[in-house]
Amino acid sequence: MRKSQIRNPKHRTENCPLSPRLNYFRIFLTFARNSIVRDMTFRANFLIDCLSTITWSLMDLGFYIFVVFRQTSQIGRDTGWGEWEFYTFLATTKLINGLVQAFFMPNCEEVSELVRSGNFDFALLKPIDTQFLVSLRKIDWPALSHIGVGGILLSISLWHITQREIDPAQLTLLTGVAYIFYILCGVAILYSLMISLAATSIWLGRNESLYDFWFYITNFSRYPMEIYSGDVGTPLRWICTFIIPVLIVVNVPARILAQPLAAETPEARFLLFFTPAAAVACLAISRWVFYRALRSYRSASS
Amino acid sequence: MLPRITAWWTILRISLQERLVYRGDFALGTLMRFLPIVTQIFLWFAIFANLGTGARITNYTYEELVVYLLLTMVARAFSSMPGLASTIARQIRTGDIKKYLTQPVDLLGFMFLSRMAHKLAYYIVAIGPFALVFFLCRGYFIHLPDAPQAAAFAASLILSFLLGFYLEACIGMVGFWFLEVTSLLFVYMLFSFFLSGHMFPLDMLPQPFGTIVQFTPLQYLAFFPAQVFLGKVQGWDLAMGLLIELEWVVLFMLLSRVLFLRGLKRYSGYGG
Amino acid sequence: MPVIEIENLSKSYRVYQKQEGLLASVTGLFRREHKDVHAVREVNLTVEKGEFVAFLGPNGAGKTTTLKLLSGIIYPSGGTARVMGHVPWEREIAYRRRFALVMGQKNQLWWDLPALESFRLHQQIYRIEPQQYQETLDELSELLDIGRLLRQPVRDLSLGERMKMELAAALLHSPDVLFLDEPTIGLDVVAQHRIQQFLKKYQAQRQVTILLSSHYMKDVAALCQRVVIITHGEIKFDGSLSGIVDRFSGQKLITLQLAGDETPKNLARFGQVIEEQLPKVKLRIDKANVPAALTEILAQHTVEDIVVEDPPLEEVIADLFSQVQTPVAT
Repeated sequence: MRKSQIRNPKHRTENCPLSPRLNYFRIFLTFARNSIVRDMTFRANFLIDCLSTITWSLMDLGFYIFVVFRQTSQIGRDTGWGEWEFYTFLATTKLINGLVQAFFMPNCEEVSELVRSGNFDFALLKPIDTQFLVSLRKIDWPALSHIGVGGILLSISLWHITQREIDPAQLTLLTGVAYIFYILCGVAILYSLMISLAATSIWLGRNESLYDFWFYITNFSRYPMEIYSGDVGTPLRWICTFIIPVLIVVNVPARILAQPLAAETPEARFLLFFTPAAAVACLAISRWVFYRALRSYRSASS
Repeated sequence: MLPRITAWWTILRISLQERLVYRGDFALGTLMRFLPIVTQIFLWFAIFANLGTGARITNYTYEELVVYLLLTMVARAFSSMPGLASTIARQIRTGDIKKYLTQPVDLLGFMFLSRMAHKLAYYIVAIGPFALVFFLCRGYFIHLPDAPQAAAFAASLILSFLLGFYLEACIGMVGFWFLEVTSLLFVYMLFSFFLSGHMFPLDMLPQPFGTIVQFTPLQYLAFFPAQVFLGKVQGWDLAMGLLIELEWVVLFMLLSRVLFLRGLKRYSGYGG
Repeated sequence: MPVIEIENLSKSYRVYQKQEGLLASVTGLFRREHKDVHAVREVNLTVEKGEFVAFLGPNGAGKTTTLKLLSGIIYPSGGTARVMGHVPWEREIAYRRRFALVMGQKNQLWWDLPALESFRLHQQIYRIEPQQYQETLDELSELLDIGRLLRQPVRDLSLGERMKMELAAALLHSPDVLFLDEPTIGLDVVAQHRIQQFLKKYQAQRQVTILLSSHYMKDVAALCQRVVIITHGEIKFDGSLSGIVDRFSGQKLITLQLAGDETPKNLARFGQVIEEQLPKVKLRIDKANVPAALTEILAQHTVEDIVVEDPPLEEVIADLFSQVQTPVAT
């Protein structure tokens, strides 16, 4: 045996060449790489997943093209959410959902399975942040086709609303930057909600309906918030803005580009400040929930 | 026959207990299923608001549309078969299905009975949340169906249960030929979500889509029962509708049987 | 200073009882019965650097729970523990860098990828320097003989090969303390033997501290100088392997080689006759009675040879486990 090689190095960490943050980024890239290597071994599945995502988007779009906007010129009375404004909204929904589904959904969904099988143990053993590891282990590359669909739809819609003759929308570089910023805020809010839901499966030991719950809650974010009015709608709008802030996820970035009538109200201006604050608060709360839940992890033996 | 009834009773009891043990989960889960409808109702309200008072969209008043969406929930409670196709496909993949070759149990019969038991258990518990939602929305129910119409509605629901069951069973059986049916299942779910009328009344679709969807069996999973309840199909059309639904049921029943027998033959041809 | 110090460590779970019958399920909606299961009770243990300690005990005795507590995966209900100065359940990153836990029943490698990919991920997660990583990997793949398997998808490996990969993955960062939970479970005899050989060599070379839980006596006998017997979450014995027999067996085995024409005369009165193949007779006799019994036997028979020995270890331990297992069924 080559004894000379057998050492027991003690102070490895001090002379490690990478800063922690850079190292996390490198780990993330490895996760991304491994996911794509894995996906490429099942190429047919990969293609089918992409195709079904696109089909789904097209059918969804069909509902608005062939049903909704055949009947009405805008969603809600005097809201300014006309056809192309609404498609801008829809495209924003796709972009945000694409990001969430590609990066966080497969991982958060897997948490309950990891907990059930006891394989969550391994995540707890690794010397990196557990929430980071659990949230980004895998990347669902086919889900990025949402972003493709969203991008195309957004381009077409923007062309229409900026090129039309009556009251064309004015877009500047600042609007673009703000749009991206608020999209990221939206992703952060949805991620926080999702990882908190996943954490409950550590508590309860099972959570098969995580995806359902997610779907039902985020369902409220799919339409312009102006539609929630009246005796039931107004409280609902408040709850979904200030308690579980799913309504601002798509609405705030979409308003920046689509510029419906409500975009100029004081309320809308307030939301521009509220959204980043809500995103930060959600991230903080979800982190607290996640680490709180770890304490009650039971570690099933298979 | 007698052992079959005892088996069925046992399954019923177990699934009922299961439902009751996971308490919060279930009650909450059933109520949450109505949340997407809430969003849909608000969306339609906004659309109708733009059209002005008393407006109709393809013969639907706003109230009728709300009732329609609620009724599709009832229909889906009968016709949706969560996990049926994937269970069959998994049994094929793992080889568990082989036990139906040697044991005197009929796979389809057994699955049908246990599904019925699960559904029954589901209705017993879910009737609470359903009643609550319908009570809250009672203002929208302006015209209630008369007795023959109610009977036709019940018949269409029962047929939609049968149709949903045999349709999904057929998809599961495809697993004999292709080991991976998840994608196929997803496509089916996709189409059934849009083309069963779950999202919106199918007769709102412009041509040629409006005619195409009339020829698929999917409309009987949600659209048709809701139409019956609303009194949108009556007399001769109603009888024809039920008859066509029955035909679809029989067709898929036979198809699932044929697929099963052929699949098993193919399976045993491999020698295990 | 000891590497592992455990004081009064306890872990109990609250388990909700599923009620039988429909009515009970309904009442269960409002009130659920529960009981506390004490997986580990008041365990005290000190392990020095470089020790190879075995946890021995029947299933559900608390071996795995103890290892999980020491790995910081679960929180204790009471007591303290320190491993290399760290409190495990505070889960400091510095601590997580210095130990490894290998579980025989679980795998952490990416199922569809070659093990090498998972190893590279480990390199990044544990921040192992490239040169260090390569050296350790070479060494491990030589010791475990896995060099040619590194590029195959994990799903194509046999159970034994997969276990070797798991071990390699866990050892890449050269942990100072190693927790092994049933590392040979489900493996065939040859694979078991290979893993044992590897562990023995590795431990001898690196002087790491190892805690191994197992219910295979063979693992323990092959590897460990020190044995800790746990049943019902409590430590029943802590000492050398041979000490177990002294402590728990009150009997001796006596083998008599009788003279050619001799017939045994009611030997059953001294103890249990295990085997009678004349001229050889095998008896099990209480320790205290051995001198008296021998005197009497020798007086009544012509004996050519006589052997007095301890009963086999496996038997003693099996007895021990079965004794304590009876009150479990509640």
